[in-house]
Amino acid sequence: MQLLQYLASRIVAYLAVLFIGVTITFFLPRLMPSDPIEGYIAQMQNQAGQTITPEAMDALRIQLRRLYGLEGSLVEQYFNYINKVVLQFDFGPSLYSYPRPVAEFIWTALPWTLGLLGVSIVIAWVIGNFIGLLAGFFHNSRFATTLEVVGVVLYPIPYYILALVLILQFAYIWQWFPLSTTIRPGPLTWDKVSAIIYNSFLPAMTLILAGFGWNILSMKALAFATKEEPYVVFARLKGVKPRRIMTRYVFRNATLPQITALALSIGTIFNGALLTEILFSYPGLGLLMRTAIGSGDFNLMYGTIIVSIFSVATAAFVIDLIYPLIDPRIRLR
Amino acid sequence: MISLNELVATYTTVRGSVRAVDGVDLSIPEGNIVGIAGESGCGKTTLLKVIYGDLTYPLALEQGSVNYGFADGAGREVDSASIQAYWFQRISYIPQSSMSSLNPVIRIRKQFVDFLEPKANKDDTLDRVRQFIQQLDLPPEALDAYPHQLSGGMRQRMMVALATFFQPDIILADEPTTALDVVVQKGILLLLLKLQRQMGNTILFVSHDMGVHYQISHRMIIMYAAKVVEYGESPDVFSAPLHPYTRMLIESLPNIGDDHLRQGVSGRPPSLWDDLRGCRFAARCPLATELCRQEEPPLVEHRPNHFAACHYAGDVIPTLELPA
Repeated sequence: MQLLQYLASRIVAYLAVLFIGVTITFFLPRLMPSDPIEGYIAQMQNQAGQTITPEAMDALRIQLRRLYGLEGSLVEQYFNYINKVVLQFDFGPSLYSYPRPVAEFIWTALPWTLGLLGVSIVIAWVIGNFIGLLAGFFHNSRFATTLEVVGVVLYPIPYYILALVLILQFAYIWQWFPLSTTIRPGPLTWDKVSAIIYNSFLPAMTLILAGFGWNILSMKALAFATKEEPYVVFARLKGVKPRRIMTRYVFRNATLPQITALALSIGTIFNGALLTEILFSYPGLGLLMRTAIGSGDFNLMYGTIIVSIFSVATAAFVIDLIYPLIDPRIRLR
Repeated sequence: MISLNELVATYTTVRGSVRAVDGVDLSIPEGNIVGIAGESGCGKTTLLKVIYGDLTYPLALEQGSVNYGFADGAGREVDSASIQAYWFQRISYIPQSSMSSLNPVIRIRKQFVDFLEPKANKDDTLDRVRQFIQQLDLPPEALDAYPHQLSGGMRQRMMVALATFFQPDIILADEPTTALDVVVQKGILLLLLKLQRQMGNTILFVSHDMGVHYQISHRMIIMYAAKVVEYGESPDVFSAPLHPYTRMLIESLPNIGDDHLRQGVSGRPPSLWDDLRGCRFAARCPLATELCRQEEPPLVEHRPNHFAACHYAGDVIPTLELPA
């Protein structure tokens, strides 16, 4: 019963986040003082002069409004937008590569971003926390200090510097990995999978190294603090083996804030991924977003932003759902 | 019989090492409940740690030894260097902060057996534990709970169950009832007494509460500034204390019906960093003389089984009245 309550409250929060995100995305451009349609028509008039009749101009205005979803009052537009975007996943055609629908671009780009991010977040979290656990648990051994230095050195490096250094070293000087991602479309064969791994290795590496440092440092601090908790001291006095104390007592407890931190940082990691995709010309959502902004493709912008909101909110939601499995106390709330 | 032989235990700090237990030398007969009392920082907990054999940095046993009165498989006397192998089998520990001494994210039954070697049959042990905890007024299902699902009193009884299940020879309890309200406290103490009578273990019991000591202890150890100042059978210690400090501690206890102001022990214990000469209590003792300030009194058996470290214990003190 308590579990159901927990579930219900999480789902409500999740839907609320989505709703607010989608609504802001709708209203923000409409708060701008300029009307994109009138701007476009004024531009047409400047270029074509008097050759277009007022009737043709009006017809064009109506067509454009329909295309952009700008017909009717603000409320009508809003419900129309919710209906199309949320329920039908229809963002209209791309303006830049008219008439291919935006959804098509998104469906091609999304797996790339999800794959890259999913793998690198999991690896950075697991390895970073494992190193942090060792460093915190054996805090007075030299080996632990060395591990901690890895975190101290990695953590403050700005992401773009780290990424550029890796590109320079591994792709330009040593040429172990490609400078930019090139994968031919086609069926998913073994060759293609290995090509994907080969192309994604360096971008994933930069994300892992960037996420690493923070995980090491915070887990080190948490493990060190948890080690002094009365239940850990008591476990030692019971004669529990050190390895079991590390896993069952220190890790199980120190990992809880780390999971919360992961849920909270998913958004930041997503932002980082935009930069990765631009730096590596990686064909994901980030690159698509940049293309959309660069070419003024409003529909594509809407699409990519809404899918980003959806992905980040869903990831945080899933972590929230996992949490009660790890912390039994959560069910009481 | 547990013998503590000239124990000196030190803590290593940045200022150097400090003696938290300084020359404790006494023996405790089997099957006794021994109360240890004294002010904060007098070395009670450190003494328990030394006896338990929990000698981890910064605590170290500088000199002396503990004999537990039993031998290992090879017939050698077990001492504080080898007692660790018998933790929770022959010697167990009820910690100071027992309320938070259970891992919050693991079911209690796992914490009951996770120190057993893999060869031990855990399911079988758990069945016996389920039987056992019913004696302690705990429902068998309490084993399957997480710590937060139990009340403070139940958690404390669980700690007592954990410490007594394997019927250890020695149980060390470091203020096991401090965090509990008096009703629950009484229940826990009676439980501990009942189990001790059944099993006949030796219990070393640290508490600030002289009232609790009076209720349950067979023998009393009074500590002051890292030293034992008085040791004897509880009735003797409470009815005829030999050391002025013990006397003042007992004087400070309230009696029902007696409503005049209690006299506390004024002042503070000396810092263990100071150059300690003479009797450590001299600065606060209303009876101190030049001899007390110059020469340290040894722990002497003034009456049968009643030891005190005071130059004037024995014949002189009982005739002197403490100034009101």
